Amino acid sequence: MATTTPVPTETECPPIDFGELKSNCVAPRPSIMGQKRGLRSILWLSFKGIVRGLLTTLSYFRRPSTVVTQQYPENRDTLEMFERYRGRLSLIHNEEGEHGCTACQICERLCPNASIIITKDKKNEATGKPALDQFIWRQDTCTFCNICVLVCPFDTLEMTGDFESSVFDRRLLVFNLNEYAGPTAGQLDKLEDDELAKAQMKPMNKYQGPVPMCGGEMDGIPKLDVEKPTDA
Amino acid sequence: MADALLNPLSLTLSVQTSEAFAAPAMSLADRASRALESGVWGAVMYIVIGLVAVLTAVSVLGLVMSYIERKVAGHFQCRLGPMRVGPHGVLQSLADGIKLLFKEGIEPGDGDKVIFIGAPIFSITATILLLAIVPLAPGIQVVDMNVGVVYIAAVSGLGVMGILMGGWSSNNKWSLLGAMRAGAQMISYEVSLTIALLVVVLFSGTLKVSEIIESQQQGWWIWRGHGVAIVAFCLYVIASTAELNRTPFDLPEGESELTGGYHTEYSGLRFSFFFLAEFANLFVFSALAVTFFFGGWLPFHVGNYEGFNSVMDLLPPVISPIFWFGSKCATLIFILMWFRWTFPRLRMDQLMRLEWKVLLPIGFANLILAATVVLSGLYFFPSAT
Repeated sequence: MATTTPVPTETECPPIDFGELKSNCVAPRPSIMGQKRGLRSILWLSFKGIVRGLLTTLSYFRRPSTVVTQQYPENRDTLEMFERYRGRLSLIHNEEGEHGCTACQICERLCPNASIIITKDKKNEATGKPALDQFIWRQDTCTFCNICVLVCPFDTLEMTGDFESSVFDRRLLVFNLNEYAGPTAGQLDKLEDDELAKAQMKPMNKYQGPVPMCGGEMDGIPKLDVEKPTDA
Repeated sequence: MADALLNPLSLTLSVQTSEAFAAPAMSLADRASRALESGVWGAVMYIVIGLVAVLTAVSVLGLVMSYIERKVAGHFQCRLGPMRVGPHGVLQSLADGIKLLFKEGIEPGDGDKVIFIGAPIFSITATILLLAIVPLAPGIQVVDMNVGVVYIAAVSGLGVMGILMGGWSSNNKWSLLGAMRAGAQMISYEVSLTIALLVVVLFSGTLKVSEIIESQQQGWWIWRGHGVAIVAFCLYVIASTAELNRTPFDLPEGESELTGGYHTEYSGLRFSFFFLAEFANLFVFSALAVTFFFGGWLPFHVGNYEGFNSVMDLLPPVISPIFWFGSKCATLIFILMWFRWTFPRLRMDQLMRLEWKVLLPIGFANLILAATVVLSGLYFFPSAT
């Protein structure tokens, strides 16, 4: 009496590749509707479904370990954000404090609301290649769409789990992401002279250069020893 | 006597139990009518006690049940529920109550003011009237009338009126749709509910609630009436879920389609009246299920097995009804909450089809079967009644 609908096979329903995110197409469960089944079979399936649903919720109820709620202000010290959470954007720096950004500006061009501004040194003295000067990120306009992270050819950007970004002045939300102005880690490694490589890494302050703070002073923000850029 | 000397415990227990159960405990209404013979003021005192007790019960139940519901709901959905107000959020419902107290009671400009104000009062009155007949312990009952089951069927149908009035007078399409759904649903499921209760009436041979409990001295009807009682109990649970407007039958207030259903336009204290009535009703229907199918405040007894029964009677007579009634009622309430947070909502036509094409025929067949069982004395321990 009972007939089974053919379950889609792997070939009919191939896994979809979204780059980093892989999704396996879930084969639809055969529905009990529209099939020629006896009354007893339908009753049994319905009963099984009801019991299965009840047991599923009960298993969550029984085990407090399944609770996903974070008691945020209390567990602030131990809070672990989720891997895919999109908080503050960050430029990845390695253990030696060197980043991998070549200032190719792809992220700047693809940013939908122009939240990234990159200034660069067209030709570094030591490497002879363009080097990053400032990676300015406007957190106040950013929509955390993740496009910059996805398009970066060198995987130097990431969205961190840092979400505590409230400030009392919105000017503080525009800042530099790079810790130094200079060539990438790879280019610095190629230089034989370590001293020369060190000399290329000019330390960069968070609120230095053409950002709204621009070396200004504010409570809690240390005074920067940089000159305001003068209009040429 | 020798047996009693050998086992003094059993003697004291049997004395205690016979004292507790043998003399028919009087409800508050009975006491009032007896007091009326000597004077008016005694009767008035009993009536005031009854009213205060029921009103307190409604408000306390509303507070406690809404807290428990939110906690249980949270844990069913991998959440914690209220955690901020007091330790583990125990004062949450109190805070909500105070908030609702201070909110403005808005009336829709084009609505029917009188009916609008009257609807929540009607709704909570039905709950109070129902709560009056719930026997919590021997003698702890406001009214114990000889047509108790008829009264329950009549009064539980009264709650629909409040919902219909509220939906109609709001002059709002969502409210009206919700109220019409509530009317159709509650009147339909009322039939199944009553038929399920009638099975127990057949078994116990009485309509009086306290006598129904006493007829379960030898064992609760849920297992003494074996299959028939279990089917009746399942019918009762499904029908009472529908009567209470809880998921999977919460069409009258289905948030996703009707915003708030019949109480869309209500705010402040009037809303909290609907809210209180809903949660108190949850308790009342569970308590009635306990009364009819699980022996009310009676401990678990198996026929004439004295040894087993005396173990079950070990609790002192004051604590015993509280423990047995409380634990049974809490279990049933938990099951209703479990249903609510597991099943998705039904469609209106599915709801009606379930009642008129499935539950009602099963209910009638079950009633006829119950009559057969009673006539042939097929249930367990028939000699006891």
